[in-house]
Amino acid sequence: KYLFSINSALGDQAYVWNENEMFLFRATLAFAMRTYSDGQEYDVANVVVCDETPRVSFWFVVTSPLDASLLVDKRRVEEAVRKSRSRINSAFLLTDDTLEFIGIPPTLEAPVAPDTPPWLIAFGVVMGGVGAGIVVLLVSSVKRDGEEETGGKTENEAASDAIYNMSFSDDEPVTQM
Amino acid sequence: MGKEARQNWDNPVQFVLACVSYAVGLGNVWRFPYLCQMHGGGGFLIPYLIMLVLEGIPLFYMELAIGQKMSLGSIGAWTAINPYLGGIGVASVVTSMYLCLYYNIINAWSFWYLFHSFQSVLPWAECPLNSNRTGPIEECETGTSTEYFFYRETLNISSSIEENGGIHMGQALCLLLAWVITYLFIARGVKSTGKVVYFTAIFPYVVLFIYLIRGFTLHGAFNGVAYMFTPKLEQLANPTTWINAATQIFFSLGLGFGTLIAFASYNQYNNNFERQAIIVSFINCGTSIFASVVTFSIYGFKATVNYENCLERTRLLLLNTFNLAEDSVSMDNVFEWIEKLNTTYPQQFAEIAHKLEGCDLESELDTAVEGTGLAFIVYSEAIMNMPVSQLWSVLYFLMLLLLGMGSMLGNIMAIITPLRDFKLLSHISDELLNGLVCVFCLLLGLGFTTTSGNYWFTMFNDYGANFSLLFVVLAEVITVSYIYGIKRFEKDIEDMLGHRPNWYWKIMWAGVSPLLLITLFIVYIVNYIQGGTPTYQAWNKELVSWGSFPLLTDYPVFGQLFIALLLVSSVSCVPLTALYVYCRERKRRPAHTGSPE
Repeated sequence: KYLFSINSALGDQAYVWNENEMFLFRATLAFAMRTYSDGQEYDVANVVVCDETPRVSFWFVVTSPLDASLLVDKRRVEEAVRKSRSRINSAFLLTDDTLEFIGIPPTLEAPVAPDTPPWLIAFGVVMGGVGAGIVVLLVSSVKRDGEEETGGKTENEAASDAIYNMSFSDDEPVTQM
Repeated sequence: MGKEARQNWDNPVQFVLACVSYAVGLGNVWRFPYLCQMHGGGGFLIPYLIMLVLEGIPLFYMELAIGQKMSLGSIGAWTAINPYLGGIGVASVVTSMYLCLYYNIINAWSFWYLFHSFQSVLPWAECPLNSNRTGPIEECETGTSTEYFFYRETLNISSSIEENGGIHMGQALCLLLAWVITYLFIARGVKSTGKVVYFTAIFPYVVLFIYLIRGFTLHGAFNGVAYMFTPKLEQLANPTTWINAATQIFFSLGLGFGTLIAFASYNQYNNNFERQAIIVSFINCGTSIFASVVTFSIYGFKATVNYENCLERTRLLLLNTFNLAEDSVSMDNVFEWIEKLNTTYPQQFAEIAHKLEGCDLESELDTAVEGTGLAFIVYSEAIMNMPVSQLWSVLYFLMLLLLGMGSMLGNIMAIITPLRDFKLLSHISDELLNGLVCVFCLLLGLGFTTTSGNYWFTMFNDYGANFSLLFVVLAEVITVSYIYGIKRFEKDIEDMLGHRPNWYWKIMWAGVSPLLLITLFIVYIVNYIQGGTPTYQAWNKELVSWGSFPLLTDYPVFGQLFIALLLVSSVSCVPLTALYVYCRERKRRPAHTGSPE
């Protein structure tokens, strides 16, 4: 069974479903059977459609070109359809979502897997930048320590003394306890 | 004695920005909107602002005063106030240590999401395919793709806290990066931190503003904002609302960790911290509200998108079952059609009735989420639906990173500043000491990158800081008000600022805040006891496939013991230190029996 959702796919550019579209469908299906099935010469007449609804959904069966009363096995039809799915979809400007075939799950495209996951690249860039920053920092601090050893430090000691004394003065009432 | 003078902030602006950067953190973005939603929307602002005035600002002021007066980290400052109560400082350091261990994991996740945003299709927008490529993986299909990305690909979470696997390499790398950047920001102490806070404090506001504009122009955003701001004033009668407001103010301002004391200790003696305390508190409060508006406009967008997708699926279901022409049913008249078809074809309708999801905008908006669930799952879901989603994703996770890093700086300073003050460590250079602390936290933090790591993270998040902080701040305010004495504290402030604090501050410190804190403390204990066995939400792979998540599981015995350890270890520092000092004094006293009294 096939389900067409033309409007949702194409919106303004939707085409009207009519006899000619149905003919195209039967032709593409015949093409699929010819190419992917046993190679016999399937024709438009071999694809029989029934039970069409305004939803644009219908049932179809495929008859063998050699004997019109013999129906082709469902599995072979399914296989042919699955293999030529993208051709059938593009003939109608639709996708797997909008052109459903009940019973055949679509074979979705495998996602492209790049060799290096992209996040690792971004990570490497940031890590490299940060690492460089740290190296610069450490080198400059080593240089600064080298310079400071030669410079005077008496001022600094006096300043830290002053701060320390104030806290001691507040301790007196407590220590008397 | 230090070999160099105590470092100072280059100017008071750096100090204010540092406090803002620390206080404005992830809680403003992911906890406050949740509370707003749970407790009556716009009405929640009333208890929130009242609590800010009653406990938030006074306690903030008090911590800044102590730090600036003593010019020492939390341990040194509390020892100077009263030698027996130096344990308060130790408890602060222990709690900060726990926080540092697990908080950087959030930054690691932000990095992970940030790096994964540089792809043409955001990886959490689609479910990965199963092995025969016929459809998405089952685990992903029953949840959502964003949940799957968070729990499976980001965390690779195990089914319970007992099962453990190896370390998730990606997580470990991101954690390493987070710690390396933290080290870079604090390597030279206040000199480096002072410059970094310009960026970490200001940039999140830029992003929030951009998101505000983006949020308001999103389809359906107004539904969310209207929903949030419609005040449901009857919630004010619920005591939980007030308790949650008090707790939120308390944790949002970052009281009790020792960070504020550490930051203030690098101030000039006469810095006017009174004005700065008020400014920072209000900025913090304002940011929470600002962030909530943004969050709710995004909520509204997400809820509307989900609602419309639900309608679309229902419409398709109706079309397919009843073979109607495509343009007969549109999204607007789906519900009318449902009723029509129910009456005309009752049997057929009954067959598909179980597949019909009830599409309801209210219930979509009602899904209140907080914490990591909001930030990483809900927001990423909203972002993937926006046009140019990579840009928004990068901006958003960059903002989360800066908020998290800003708070992280404060937490690390809370540990390093007291350590610096110890004479034993004063001859180690700044860079080396900071590096050692970072490496130590990194190694312990790797435990959170294992497959059960998120469960441990939740445990630390729920129990590591809350109770200890309440206890520490209660002890602080009682010590300052009654043991040290309000009069002496007043004189100290007069010494620094030039004027005494007015009656409002004194009433808060001596009366209102301690009472509030005692109430919160008791409520917390009662809830803990009444709550029975502590539970956590487990992502069990098999059960998720059957559509039941989250699964509330009890913590196993070792988990409960660890929780107890977390709670007790920091609180017990206070009595243990008092005991230690007492014993040390007693040992000294026999040698002084001959001294004149």
